[in-house]
Amino acid sequence: MSAQLIDPTWYQLAAATALVVLAIGLSAARGLGLERDLTVAAARTLVQLLAIGYVLGFVFSTHSPALIVGILLLMLVIAAWTVAARQRRPTHGLRLLVLGALSTGCGLTLVLGTQVILRIEPWYNPYYLIPLMGMVIGNSLNSATLAVERLDSDLRSGRDQVEALLALGATSRQAAAAAVRSAMKAAMIPIINSMMVVGLVSLPGMMTGQILGGNAPLIAIKYQVLIMYMIAFSTAVTAFVLTTLRARSYFTGAHQLREEALQE
Amino acid sequence: MMSNQGEPAIRLDRVGVVKQKRPVLAEVTLSFEPGGAYSILGPSGAGKTTLLRLLNRLEDPTTGSLRFHGTPYGQVSAIALRRRVAMVFQVPVLFPGNVGDNLCTALRLQHRDDRVDEAELTRLLELVELDGAMLTRDAAALSVGQKQRVCIARALLTAPEVLLLDEPTAALDPTTAHRLIAAIVGLSRRQRLTLIMVSHQPELARAFGGEVIVLVAGRVVEQSRAAQFFVAPATEQGRRYLDGTLMGTPP
Repeated sequence: MSAQLIDPTWYQLAAATALVVLAIGLSAARGLGLERDLTVAAARTLVQLLAIGYVLGFVFSTHSPALIVGILLLMLVIAAWTVAARQRRPTHGLRLLVLGALSTGCGLTLVLGTQVILRIEPWYNPYYLIPLMGMVIGNSLNSATLAVERLDSDLRSGRDQVEALLALGATSRQAAAAAVRSAMKAAMIPIINSMMVVGLVSLPGMMTGQILGGNAPLIAIKYQVLIMYMIAFSTAVTAFVLTTLRARSYFTGAHQLREEALQE
Repeated sequence: MMSNQGEPAIRLDRVGVVKQKRPVLAEVTLSFEPGGAYSILGPSGAGKTTLLRLLNRLEDPTTGSLRFHGTPYGQVSAIALRRRVAMVFQVPVLFPGNVGDNLCTALRLQHRDDRVDEAELTRLLELVELDGAMLTRDAAALSVGQKQRVCIARALLTAPEVLLLDEPTAALDPTTAHRLIAAIVGLSRRQRLTLIMVSHQPELARAFGGEVIVLVAGRVVEQSRAAQFFVAPATEQGRRYLDGTLMGTPP
């Protein structure tokens, strides 16, 4: 079975626009008021992906390790800023903290996945690095958002519990342990759920893409297993670093809750 | 930890606290002698709770200094200090588990919960006039008054020298409140415990005995023996506080 890859023509893509137009029509018919949003979103999809397509085409053609690593770092920075922007008061400290956690989690995962396990050649081969990093960051970003949200809300609403523990001679780490645990759990649940149902109710995008691209399903599946394990590892490391450091920022050296941190 | 002879258990010297550019405490100089009982009275917003939090080192003062048996607070580990100067909060906080688990919190924090002595736990419960059979009761199922007693017993596990009580009876009806105060006072006589209680109910301070410290707008306006204070306050502000005419004074 050899899948002949169809390269969609621009006309075919234009025809696909009709699908969005129909969706807009449905929105208008029901009076959802989403027509404008749908139009903008559809336009952004096209423009952003076209742009990244050209950027990737250029990066892939340069064979420059520095440029490729630069792209990976840029992805991390954008992800960190996105996580911070989701919080009530995105501070510079939080951005750097998330950047540090994501870099540790995703960086370690990428090195282990591509250099130790897959052993890609050359080591900076962008056909592996960039899509794998994209998937790892995309998932870790969601986990990081959940972890920060949960930790912040638990420490703020559980202030009485935390101070009751401190007053009994707990270290700040002991006093924050419950909040840190629940934040790490919140971060890990999405990937656990995904791994539970993959293949049963969901066919992951990367696997679908590889099969469409003409790869044997078994190869696609092996990559999918690899990527899911990589995501599990990277969310765990990211959440671990993030919750540990973030929790520490709530306390002084004398094991006191910092009033300013609670109000941020 | 050092125990300098003749030094007060805790001494505050010209302590000031500023929060969000607002003065909360100013020029507070106080000594708490070992074994003494002290009531800190004052209208809401006078800085009573902040004062108590300083003593437990949940906060540090902006200016001035605190000493524990003569040693500056900054030179004592906060964790060791909190085991010597225990604090019970206004709203009782119990952790998931049964009463026994709660009593052992301080041991668990030190990873010494293998040394739980059931007889000791029963003794602690009896100190706060609770039945030893309650050890296995689910902590969440207790009444507020029982919870507050468990919190006090829990704070006593580390055998502190000083017990700080932040309006310990705020959530209780007057009868239960008076019984709890009587239990605490009896406790201090038996354990030679220094008691420092914050309250905005003068009648509880009268039952408490010892000394009364009146705090208004972050300053100590009167410090007298309780027996004298309730008969003839030494200061005008002390008298107005007792009359109730000071209540509602903005801080």
